[in-house]
Amino acid sequence: MTRTNKILRLWQRPYAIAAILTIALLAANLIVNPAAFSPQYMPQTIAAFAPFALAAMASTPAILGGGGGIDISVGPVMSLVNIVIVTLLLPSQLLDGPVMGVTAALVLGLGIGALNGVLVAVLRYQPIIATLCAMLILIGINIRLAPSPMQAGDNWTDAVSSSWGPVPVAAVLILAPLALWSLLGKTAWMTNLYSVGGSDTAAFTAGVNVTAVRVVAYATGGLFAGIGGIALTGILRSGDSTVGMQYTLIAITAVVLGGTSMTGGRGGMGGSLAAAAAIFLFQILLSAMRVPTPWLNLTYGAMLIGAIIVTVRTSTANKTKGKVA
Amino acid sequence: MGLQPVSEENTPATSVTPVLRVEKVAKSYGHTRALTACDMELFSGEILAVMGENGSGKSTLVKILTGVQNLDEGTLSMDGRRLRPFSNPVDGISAGIVAVFQEVPIIENQTVLDNIWVGYDGVFRNRLRKAEKRHIADKVLKVLLGRQLDLDQHTESLSLSDQQACCIARALVKKPKILILDESTSALDIATRDRLFKTCSELTGEGTSIIFISHRMDEVMAIADRVTVLRSGRTVGHFTRGEATPEVLVSSMTGKTFAQAEESVDVRTPGLDGKVQLETQDLKLSAESKGINFHLRKGEVVALAGLEGHGQDHFLRALWALEPVAGAVVAYTKNQAQKITSPADAVRASIVYVPRDRRTEGIFPNQSIGDNFSIATMSQDVQFGVVKPSRSLTRLKAFKETLKIKMSSDRDPITTLSGGNQQKVVLARWLASEPDVVLLNDPTRGVDLGAKRDIYALMRRMTQQGVSFIVLSTEVDEILEIADRTLVFRENNVFVELDRTMTTREKLVSSFFGHEDSQ
Repeated sequence: MTRTNKILRLWQRPYAIAAILTIALLAANLIVNPAAFSPQYMPQTIAAFAPFALAAMASTPAILGGGGGIDISVGPVMSLVNIVIVTLLLPSQLLDGPVMGVTAALVLGLGIGALNGVLVAVLRYQPIIATLCAMLILIGINIRLAPSPMQAGDNWTDAVSSSWGPVPVAAVLILAPLALWSLLGKTAWMTNLYSVGGSDTAAFTAGVNVTAVRVVAYATGGLFAGIGGIALTGILRSGDSTVGMQYTLIAITAVVLGGTSMTGGRGGMGGSLAAAAAIFLFQILLSAMRVPTPWLNLTYGAMLIGAIIVTVRTSTANKTKGKVA
Repeated sequence: MGLQPVSEENTPATSVTPVLRVEKVAKSYGHTRALTACDMELFSGEILAVMGENGSGKSTLVKILTGVQNLDEGTLSMDGRRLRPFSNPVDGISAGIVAVFQEVPIIENQTVLDNIWVGYDGVFRNRLRKAEKRHIADKVLKVLLGRQLDLDQHTESLSLSDQQACCIARALVKKPKILILDESTSALDIATRDRLFKTCSELTGEGTSIIFISHRMDEVMAIADRVTVLRSGRTVGHFTRGEATPEVLVSSMTGKTFAQAEESVDVRTPGLDGKVQLETQDLKLSAESKGINFHLRKGEVVALAGLEGHGQDHFLRALWALEPVAGAVVAYTKNQAQKITSPADAVRASIVYVPRDRRTEGIFPNQSIGDNFSIATMSQDVQFGVVKPSRSLTRLKAFKETLKIKMSSDRDPITTLSGGNQQKVVLARWLASEPDVVLLNDPTRGVDLGAKRDIYALMRRMTQQGVSFIVLSTEVDEILEIADRTLVFRENNVFVELDRTMTTREKLVSSFFGHEDSQ
């Protein structure tokens, strides 16, 4: 295989655009805003990135599973974890440690994700409707628990923006789901997920337990959102019911930009992570350049539209290429 | 009525317990009774053909046997033990019943290897090591295709025949006790089909039983040990190999005597001296191909034939500018020469194309029968900018009668119809636009005898009105019945052009394989 061929094949990967954007934006940031990437501030920059990254990764499995799969309750799940830690666990003498906090985050995330999965795969609600209902219920609970933002004080989640030795803690939070995902990649489930996403009827008639595969996908996404809740608490340093929602939309944007097909079966976790990085880097680049807020949103939206068009076009071009009529 | 009654004498009078016994199975979809009373026995190591026209309940029977659908009434038993009703395909597969479907359920974004092993593993557990999977997949494909396939290739780039071979391999690797082939040969090229038949006889030698469903009489004659016939959801006859002549089977399926069923529907008209409607000028299907100069005359039916993938599909699609080719396509339909360079040109020249893959290119599954029919002709129904649905209904009614479309209301979703009736609606959609030239891509694929005849009859009527047809057909019988001329394609060239008077079954089939003269 020639070198151009190799480059061509890399270009045809669904995450190519997101990866190129990330590299370019990282370079631009290093020129405009080198301080944020100095050893001193690096842990904080990564901590600020972590909720983006985890929200994008949490949104990916449901979409990969196809059948219109989507989980729009990701943001509110992160908020719920954030609020439960700040308003219920930290004030208590017994439950204020990291073990209890992390367990609560994982159990809440996994449980709500699995519930979404049951609504979608067992009870056959439209995914967007099912997770919309979950989202509305969660927002209600969040507001009930924290009617106004509640300061957290010093606590274990502050560690998110620090380092363990040379390793930023936030990086560990981001890498944990990736590790779990590649572990799942060694089981039959991952192949099953892509098969179900590619054609649920084909997978069903071939004997795949489509229901179980999809429930696990939503549960996995929920678990990642739970971890995202920890990251969110680390940077907010308060319990706030208003911030979660914005992550849902950015996360889904990142999934698409990362090359995952909204119809399922194509794409992957790495693309979502790279795209989340690109979006995050673009945001901090614009604020470092002191772009006024109205322009910030406008430019940001325009870039996303452009990038998504290119991503979708290249992936459909690859799809039709070589297809025999 | 020369019909065989259902009787015990027709089943082998042995004390052997059947592998599978189906008793009084019934199933309804809403108000439609798909199966009323289906009885069937399958013995170890035999190939049982199940025959019946469209809507006779074959597909429903397969869905029940595989667990895709639940049965309403009746029982299934295996080896004398009554089975718990299957609630999904996992149950069917664990009982040892595996089916290959007509629709080629390939997962396009997955590799050949993953397509073959899908459904074999548990939700998490890999039941075989990857190396072993590769080894077995290679072996099975070699047997089916006579060649290796790249296992890491995505299946979307494979031909339809190779995709179906993957689906058959998917069933074979599960080592079924009962293998169901539901019209699964219609997507295969002839060489692969023959290898599949050889594999089938090897499997039966090892004790596997096979339920074989096909509309092709020659296939049933070639491999079936026994035949069970369904009509309107009931089992109407069991025949052994000796009893099952085509005449007997046709009369049993249709409920008519053979003479009635065979009443000749001859589409052919002497349209050979008609005006040229469409021509190709030096059209080349590949860089190495010779240029094709082809003329289609008014009222003529030209068939495109050949082994799958030899260029006939490419040629047909090129006529509607769906494929890039060298050379030109020119239409003379509107009393003027017009080059066809896009489908829009073709439509303007009143040329219509009816695609092969009904599921993905033909129907709008969520829409009603009426909407599916009127989508191409809606502009005729517009008055003062408002669509008057009553007009399209009138048109649909006419086609409903001539094509004998079985439906209750035009408001029902099109998916409530059987495959053959869906195909009739898709055909009617395009024929209703009053075209001059009709391009049909395998119009009767998976359609039963009765429906075929209805379609041929309509074609005949239209050719008499001066409409010309170009029909890609994979069935020799169909070509013999309808074509005035046949172009046989081989390696992206027109290998031979056969006139109606010269066309015989032997000549056609041998030319598929590259023998020009074998009479």
